[in-house]
Amino acid sequence: MGDAIVGVVANPLSGRDIRRLVTHASVFPTAEKASMIQRMLTAFGAVGVHRVLLSTDLGGISAAVFRALGRRGAHGADARWPEVEFLDGQPIRQTAQDTVDAVRRMVAAGARVIVCLGGDGTARVTASAAGEVPMLALSTGTNNVFPAVREATTAGLAAGLVATGAVPADRATARAKLLEVWVGDRAETALVDVAACTERHVGTRALWEPATLTQLFCAFAEPDAIGLSSILGQLSPVGRRDPHGVTARLVPGAPRQVLAPIAPGLVVPVGVSEIAQMRPGAVHEVDASAGVIAVDGERELTFEPGERPLVRLRADGPRCVDVQAVLAASAGLGLLLREHGGGST
Amino acid sequence: MTDTIERRALSREQLLSAYRMMRAIREFEERVHREFATGEIPGFVHLYAGEEASAVGVCLDLGERDTIASTHRGHGHCIAKGVDVGEMMAEIYGRRTGSCHGKGGSMHIADLSKGMLGANGIVGGGPPLICGTALAAKIRGTGGVSVAFFGDGGSNQGTTLESMNLACVWNLPAVFIAENNGYAETTASAWSVAADNIADRAAGFGMPGVIVDGFDFFAVHEAASEAIARARGGGGPTLIEMKFTRYYGHFEGDQQTYRADEVERARAELDCLRRFAARVTETGELARADLDAVDADVATMIDKAVDDAKAAPLPGEADLLTDVYVRY
Repeated sequence: MGDAIVGVVANPLSGRDIRRLVTHASVFPTAEKASMIQRMLTAFGAVGVHRVLLSTDLGGISAAVFRALGRRGAHGADARWPEVEFLDGQPIRQTAQDTVDAVRRMVAAGARVIVCLGGDGTARVTASAAGEVPMLALSTGTNNVFPAVREATTAGLAAGLVATGAVPADRATARAKLLEVWVGDRAETALVDVAACTERHVGTRALWEPATLTQLFCAFAEPDAIGLSSILGQLSPVGRRDPHGVTARLVPGAPRQVLAPIAPGLVVPVGVSEIAQMRPGAVHEVDASAGVIAVDGERELTFEPGERPLVRLRADGPRCVDVQAVLAASAGLGLLLREHGGGST
Repeated sequence: MTDTIERRALSREQLLSAYRMMRAIREFEERVHREFATGEIPGFVHLYAGEEASAVGVCLDLGERDTIASTHRGHGHCIAKGVDVGEMMAEIYGRRTGSCHGKGGSMHIADLSKGMLGANGIVGGGPPLICGTALAAKIRGTGGVSVAFFGDGGSNQGTTLESMNLACVWNLPAVFIAENNGYAETTASAWSVAADNIADRAAGFGMPGVIVDGFDFFAVHEAASEAIARARGGGGPTLIEMKFTRYYGHFEGDQQTYRADEVERARAELDCLRRFAARVTETGELARADLDAVDADVATMIDKAVDDAKAAPLPGEADLLTDVYVRY
């Protein structure tokens, strides 16, 4: 058994929340998530990945891949797939903890790349558990600022080339920034944005009411983003590779209003004031008296009078596979070239 | 959108009322669980304990012009829609003072004066009913919304799927609440629901489908409030899937050999009442003393309901031919 190992974690619940009801957000079927994994397995097999560790779930994704493996056994395979090991035997809680548990097991088992299928929330949770193992986030969720909307086959080739060591990790990965937020001894991280809002409860987690937002902190803010970072993406863009971040106050009646796509299907005017740079390490205070902190667009941490949430930008976020850079390096090295009639590596 | 913020900011009275309803359902069911074991209650009972946040979170935004249809597990929906608890208990005991004069029992409690179209012994029986009341509300322009509660088993019934189709075709003011408690009687929904999530089926009808943590009152209320407002405003139907667990068996007496320790965990970590109480006292929206007072009131109310039911008369011979459509 070789050690070119890839972990794949898929969130069965991504793309199912209230934003389908309030903002016409997209629906991402379970069958498509399972098909994406199968397309990746083909790509992994083509570039010589030995083993794939796959998360298990009660939503039907791992079950569909399991059935597909059985059918291949019965009818003969037309392309090599790596050995697939299902990470079962651990209780499935149907919460984000399942993703954390699966990613930790992948890290412990020596995965060289971890691919996650989900939205910004899934990527955030994967990043928190992946440590120094490079991750590749593919979008199957709602807000997709961090995960790429990209064909799984191509992503699978890139992840496979990094896992086998064919493309050196230093040419293939880039370190993302990270936002940390604390309320007392409770802490969360975000890959894109942290927002303070006046909602009192976590509820359905999603945020779609601009009038409830009071402060925004972005690790990066791209002009073509979807989600809360789009607010600053049009006013004070910050790239993923820039060393700094950006923060602002959101004030409904502010003279400066920006039309921002703060959620899929929702373009609303948002009042913005006091835009400032965030330097890595500097601690920023949330000064609302009570409310909820949202990370990457989802309400997570409540805070009450007397509690002061703190936010900090960190430069040492997760290592992320740059699909384009990997495949460009592959082109330069001729990694996918084969002699006619020859086999794959 | 300001409407949304106003709808979501629950007043002290609304929070107290929500807690009272959830506590009343819990006490009612825990008491029926104990009383059923004595053999005094005729027929079958299916208990709603554990699922309170669904009935109460949905019904909080419903009023007199709105109707709901329920299931065989209907006590929670009845209480949340305002059916009298004393009459419900008497009905379960088969007494003449019951909601249906003791002739229906647990699975047929109904009170049309409260917009409660009835518990229903037929799995998937509720959704067609609310297509009727929703159509009536639409034609008459009452602004009324109709809500069907059904389970994961009911979600697989043709009647439910046909009703969703009809509601979408007619753009009815309807909301479909799939209460997925994990088991249709003893069959796991993970096995029997081909779409994996009931909510996923909404896409096939062209309506929104969302999944909500059914143990979380605030999440349920947010989603239900949006769906009800959408229906009332002419936006059409919505499907909401609640994911949770029932605390008791399919019916009282079910040995539950098909599941292990999930109920203990749910009671300890996920319980809707416990989470609600912790949250509202943390924010200071309600005080512990407010909740204790509700608990004491509810306990007294349920004691009285049981005492009254036991003391009430059974229907007599003279009642045989009342409440029927045709008298031969």
